[in-house]
Amino acid sequence: MQWPRLCLLLMAGIAPLTAHGQTPGALPDGQHRDTVQRACSACHTVQMFAGRRMSRQQWGATVSNMIGRGAKISDDEFDQIVGYLATTFPVDGKPGATTAQTKTPRKPSLIDQAGSDDKQVVDEDAAARGKTVYIAGCITCHGTRARGGARGADLLRSVLVLHDRYGSTLGPYLAQGHPKARPVSLSKEELVDLSHFLHQQIGDTLRTGPNNSPLNILVGDARAGKVYFETTGGCTQCHSVTGDLQHIASKYDPPALQQKIVFPDNRAITKQGTASRQHSAVTVTVTTPSGTTVTGEPTDIDDFHVSLRNAEGRYFTFTRSADLKVEKHDPLAGHHALLDTYTDKDIHDVVSYLETLQ
Amino acid sequence: MKVLSALFLALFALATVPTASPQIGGGLDPAALVHPTSDSWPTYNGDYSGRRFSALTQINDKNVKSLSLAWLYQLPNLGDGLVRRLAGTPVVVNGVIYITVPDHVWAIDARTSKPLWHYAWTSKGGIHLGNRGVGISGDSVYFETPDCNLVALNIADGKKLWSQSICDLDQMYYASVAPLVVKDHVITGVSGDDLDRPGYLEAHDPRTGALQWRWSVVPKPGEPGSETWPNADAMAHGGGMTWISPTYDPALNLVYIGTGNPQPVIAASGRNGANLYTESIVALHADTGKMAWYFQPSPHDTHDWDAVQTPILFDGVIEGKPQKLLAQASRNGWFFVLDRETGKNYVSSEFVKTNWTRGIDAKGQPIANPAKEPQIAGVLVAPDASGGVNWAPSTFSPATGLFYINATHSYSMFYIFDDSDKPEGWGGHEMGHYTQAMLQAVDYRTGKIAWSHKWETPGGESGLLSTAGNLVFAGDSNNNLIALDAKNGTPLWHTNLSTGMSNGPITYELDGHQYLLVGAGDKLFAFIMN
Repeated sequence: MQWPRLCLLLMAGIAPLTAHGQTPGALPDGQHRDTVQRACSACHTVQMFAGRRMSRQQWGATVSNMIGRGAKISDDEFDQIVGYLATTFPVDGKPGATTAQTKTPRKPSLIDQAGSDDKQVVDEDAAARGKTVYIAGCITCHGTRARGGARGADLLRSVLVLHDRYGSTLGPYLAQGHPKARPVSLSKEELVDLSHFLHQQIGDTLRTGPNNSPLNILVGDARAGKVYFETTGGCTQCHSVTGDLQHIASKYDPPALQQKIVFPDNRAITKQGTASRQHSAVTVTVTTPSGTTVTGEPTDIDDFHVSLRNAEGRYFTFTRSADLKVEKHDPLAGHHALLDTYTDKDIHDVVSYLETLQ
Repeated sequence: MKVLSALFLALFALATVPTASPQIGGGLDPAALVHPTSDSWPTYNGDYSGRRFSALTQINDKNVKSLSLAWLYQLPNLGDGLVRRLAGTPVVVNGVIYITVPDHVWAIDARTSKPLWHYAWTSKGGIHLGNRGVGISGDSVYFETPDCNLVALNIADGKKLWSQSICDLDQMYYASVAPLVVKDHVITGVSGDDLDRPGYLEAHDPRTGALQWRWSVVPKPGEPGSETWPNADAMAHGGGMTWISPTYDPALNLVYIGTGNPQPVIAASGRNGANLYTESIVALHADTGKMAWYFQPSPHDTHDWDAVQTPILFDGVIEGKPQKLLAQASRNGWFFVLDRETGKNYVSSEFVKTNWTRGIDAKGQPIANPAKEPQIAGVLVAPDASGGVNWAPSTFSPATGLFYINATHSYSMFYIFDDSDKPEGWGGHEMGHYTQAMLQAVDYRTGKIAWSHKWETPGGESGLLSTAGNLVFAGDSNNNLIALDAKNGTPLWHTNLSTGMSNGPITYELDGHQYLLVGAGDKLFAFIMN
């Protein structure tokens, strides 16, 4: 019974991704599919995201968010997962598309698992035709995006429209004469097209819809940001605009840049489409009762064990006890401390300043 | 499988001394829910109070280091890509454990872990994120399905008795709550955060599923609370899902429910006002669904901070006098203690650092700082949308007087993506996280942190259990199940489950053995003292 939903999800894009021989409920084949399956389905079904179409940058941000919420994903797995998602569920709806598009297609609706398995599968071409039907007969009262207004109901939150399938409830309703003063008269094809347009618009309002990126990050005062960078923020203790931050704005777009400043240990995708490493760069030094010292990147730390990998890549695990000394060094501690002190204006100012470093 | 099930049941029937104890796998009189027996965990929270506290002491701070595995049950494979995460709390009645994942229920022999029956619902859709478990009344087992049905099964063999629609899939509701049986009512809640719809709580007839009453979270124009919404349209789409089981005070005959976030979720320009009764702790008369009082932890929420966390009921001493109390550790990072008869506020305090308030109002409710509502260019907010605590249940121990929270201190940036005059859905989101996880023990009389145990690695969100054996059981993000000293937070015992604990641990006594039962992903672990 998962099959209809899978079809729907896969066909939410422009090109149906009907992979033959797929197990119902499974992800389409692709490199590192199993990694995605394992990492993501620990907490939720893969259908939660399999209907989404996003850019590599957006998939990177999403996976990074999941790590922030507790997903166990290593650097290598991060690259594999983002690679699989960006290839299998790309923004243009065509898996592995490499040829240039003649036109930029509309971003498809974000339709995920919500709703009925038999919900309407939006035909994007029909929806485009339906939009002209809408503009001709409905827009005056129901508004530019069908969200209603003073004179007409919100069609995207109309139970009648939500129950509609390809005109099944919309048709009989309009046939009663609507609006009363000047009833519309639609052909069967126009009715179906209009239905596709409305369901497409409903899809656009699910969760964050296809418009799931910040609109404008650059609202700060670059000069104030420079002052903050050089004085209050203490940024120059570690950073230099002519050193490590030279051309930083050509590497990250403004939202990613802002995220890198505020949450430097989250991963971001560069403008060039590569993943930044998770350079939380925390190191741990373990000193045993006999005085032996090992320093490296921790792979696991809890109340009972410390596991780490040293610079040569050798793996060590220690059982914790009162006489085992464990010291953590966090080079990002300064960033974390800023979370408690800086204002939103400080953040926006610094982003605007760093954005000048093209 | 049917033959096997029947065989098992027959064997148990033979093994049971007729007059000594109830038949294994038998039903439960709802009156027994008022004083649950120590060999059971008969509701989502174990009892009506929601404390998740057990008076059992066989496993205690002195001997817990010898706790060992009795058995391990692995859920069968239901198909590639389907979630088999035990995100509900097992229910234990008459020697049988009832566990669920979306669309599936199993009855398992609590002594041996042998499956007795399995029921699979044929789904018509809905979000399959998790199921919180079953409710039991008489010979019926109730559970909710992602496609909006309340289903009753025969407790003896798992055969379907009836099903009743409790929400509209086309309006993108879904159902995941463990139904709570209160007298002659099966109380159900609804989920869904995709389309802007109003939430509600319902009571159904235990025999037929027929609707008895419905309490709408968002009022209609003219009703009390409607003054906290700008117009009828905003109210009709106001949200407030009821996605965690309520608690109940039999003496007051009041049901307590926490309600979810208002909708649209992040972009709130179309719903100015406090948006009652979303983000509220509400007391309802059990037989009518009429509201007795409310308290709103997050007026005009814009950060997805559902206030659905279990309203925990206990009696305590405040201002030198014995009081009937209710406490909630809310997703917005605040801890509240109220009089559960009147809703009067005694304590409002942060259990993790937050930065979104400008103090509290005369009722004790936090006052949201408008500057920390989501912005186009982003705004830094503590906690993040996952909150100071999420759905994983907290626990209160009357033995220590401490309220335990598996908490997260976090920051995220919140953005408006839809700056139009009528945003719908979410219209924005959070991006980026800084998180620190810790177990907080809070003194209910003051709201002060009595002790705090920081988890070395953030993540994980297990539920908690406290016992009269001076123990708190918790999970950390490295897949450890840990027993801590309830008085001071010292870890006393742990074992690694290989998968993160995905629900709240429970305990009960069978044949003289106290069991600790824990779900972790697709595995169910039972521990005893050997």
